[in-house]
Amino acid sequence: MGLIKKVPVYTEKIPGGAFVLTSLETVLNQGRAKSLWYLLFGTACCAIELMCTGASRYDFDRLGMIFRATPRQSDLILVAGTITKKMAPRLRRLYDQMSEPRYVIAMGGCTINGGPFYYDSYAVEKGIDHIIPVDIYIPGCPPRPESLMEGCIHLQEKIKKQKLLDWQEK
Amino acid sequence: MTRQELASYIVEKYGDLMKPLESGKYDPLFVVEVDKLVDIAQKLKDDENLKFDYFCNLCGVDTNENFEAVYNVASITKNLRLDFKVILPYDKAEVESLQSVWPAIGWYEREMWELYGINVKNHGNLTRFLLPDDWDQGFPMRKNWDAPDFKRMPEK
Amino acid sequence: MADLRTEEFVVNMGPQHPSTHGVCRLVLTMDGEKVVKIEPVIGYLHRAIEKVCENRTYMQCIPILDRFEYVTSMSCNYVFSLATERIAEMEVPERAEYLRVIMLELNRIASHLLFYGVTAMDIGALTPFLYGLRERELIIDLFEMTCGQRLTYNYIRIGGVSRDIPKEFEPKCREAIKIISEKMADYEGLLNENPIWLKRTKGVAVLPKELAIAYGVSGPVLRASGVQYDLRKNDPYCIYDRFDFDIPVGQNGDCFDRYMLRLNEIRESIKIITQALDGLPEGDIKNKKSRMTYKAPAGETYTRIENSRGEMGIYLISDGGKKPLRVKAKGASFNHIQVLPHFGTNMFIADLVANFATLDVIMPEVDR
Repeated sequence: MGLIKKVPVYTEKIPGGAFVLTSLETVLNQGRAKSLWYLLFGTACCAIELMCTGASRYDFDRLGMIFRATPRQSDLILVAGTITKKMAPRLRRLYDQMSEPRYVIAMGGCTINGGPFYYDSYAVEKGIDHIIPVDIYIPGCPPRPESLMEGCIHLQEKIKKQKLLDWQEK
Repeated sequence: MTRQELASYIVEKYGDLMKPLESGKYDPLFVVEVDKLVDIAQKLKDDENLKFDYFCNLCGVDTNENFEAVYNVASITKNLRLDFKVILPYDKAEVESLQSVWPAIGWYEREMWELYGINVKNHGNLTRFLLPDDWDQGFPMRKNWDAPDFKRMPEK
Repeated sequence: MADLRTEEFVVNMGPQHPSTHGVCRLVLTMDGEKVVKIEPVIGYLHRAIEKVCENRTYMQCIPILDRFEYVTSMSCNYVFSLATERIAEMEVPERAEYLRVIMLELNRIASHLLFYGVTAMDIGALTPFLYGLRERELIIDLFEMTCGQRLTYNYIRIGGVSRDIPKEFEPKCREAIKIISEKMADYEGLLNENPIWLKRTKGVAVLPKELAIAYGVSGPVLRASGVQYDLRKNDPYCIYDRFDFDIPVGQNGDCFDRYMLRLNEIRESIKIITQALDGLPEGDIKNKKSRMTYKAPAGETYTRIENSRGEMGIYLISDGGKKPLRVKAKGASFNHIQVLPHFGTNMFIADLVANFATLDVIMPEVDR
């Protein structure tokens, strides 16, 4: 219970030295929401916008989003780009390799329903929700960095509302 | 050598093997007999005035009547461009591999075999690479190909 | 130690690997740290763009082909429009030609800046990524101002361009290229004297001239190997023959030359843009015949242009109908991946990453 011993140390810095009472749920959710490390999973056009979001102008890091190259270190899989039928089993495997709690953002039209390839492409998977459960859909072809960030903020709000044992029930 | 000069040079020198086609716009286009394909390709590469040493593109075509394979080649040393095609009937869709002339053609031939079902003789590595490994729906680029999730745009 | 027996083993790299630039998979046979054999496995991004194009009208093909090579969408738009124009023998207004050159060259700079950042990140330096993408945003702003999109533009249409540039484009464009040409010193300063960078790139993965030509390698990779072959000069299209610019050529064909050549190309592109902005005439931006329901007459042609990765080509066959009979898209990266097993072996796996990064492969061009 190292945390409880340290609580007075932190609260002393608050003017007046008052205690802050909150539920464990809020603390955990706050931690989870503010440090979403995402798996770099860029397959097509949206990956370039994802890079732009991570770079100088948009600065994804300020939302606590840092890219990871391996699924084992990430909380969020940001599916950026078309998923083809050949790629679909790999996406499922990457998702399975992530540890709970895990979240999915579907970025761009292709991941929602096939996008421009919906009608007449024989090779594109028509939506990744056939393969993995999706938390947030971000439309656009490709979405602007602002909409990607908006989507991430929505995901953070969703995380903040979740109950402590929610993810275990799955 | 301009485009017209190139076309007339080929007609003059290889006129019995290569027939010019009217449908080719901009760069000269010729049609070639299937069984003389390797021979012609080697000649085009070795010719002192042509030196077609650079392979651009191979394109399989389904024209609703037959298959075609169109070879687009270029010459870096002489700065030329040329297209030639072979016409293949549906029941005998087979060409000889040109890897001995232009090594770059290897993957293009594989792709043509995979998407059109045009067989390539003496290729050595005709394996699936664009479609999923468990693909069993035939050759998708053929015009009469159909699948449940494939919607054709109406003609009108 | 020399007679120590080692055993070869297989390492799977990709398809989800941050440094394979998309979804390429390389099956590597390794002997210790050395790569003995490379077997590329592609097709993870095969979206059937060619089949989709056969099912669309000519104008509807253009936004689909945007996704064929999304880093330089302008050249995809352009090569398809040019192919249709050559079949139809359609005239393009002067102003549209100038606008096309400006857009194509801006897109080339944007692509090379992305290359600069991503390559450095692959080799292990994060800072150039932030620098390169910072200036890329200036160009993206210009595109957004003109056609409303950041990545897939659908701007260059058959017979012209979709809309005129806004009034503030020209001053903004001049300012952007001024900033970029000033920052070039920064880019070079960050890497060119960095001993780690030099060790990782100089003399690594030399692509010999003969092999490059035999395997149809094009663009900066071919020129880095010492072949002066640029379609803007050798097979002129658009109005490139009116501008004064040089073709940078490398000496050794190693990773460093390929990187340096692209930085030099940015300088040349800036020269072209400046000349094009100076000479930009007034007038129409579109041929009168260019409409959404445009039909090309019967004919076929192979059209190729020089984009930032090399030769981009379209083989277009029209039978006079509403839809094209065949659209075959050729991307330079297809050949670049094909040649990789022939010169990428006998080096460390870390050098393979550097090699792959400087080839500047982009997967949708390979898989289509």
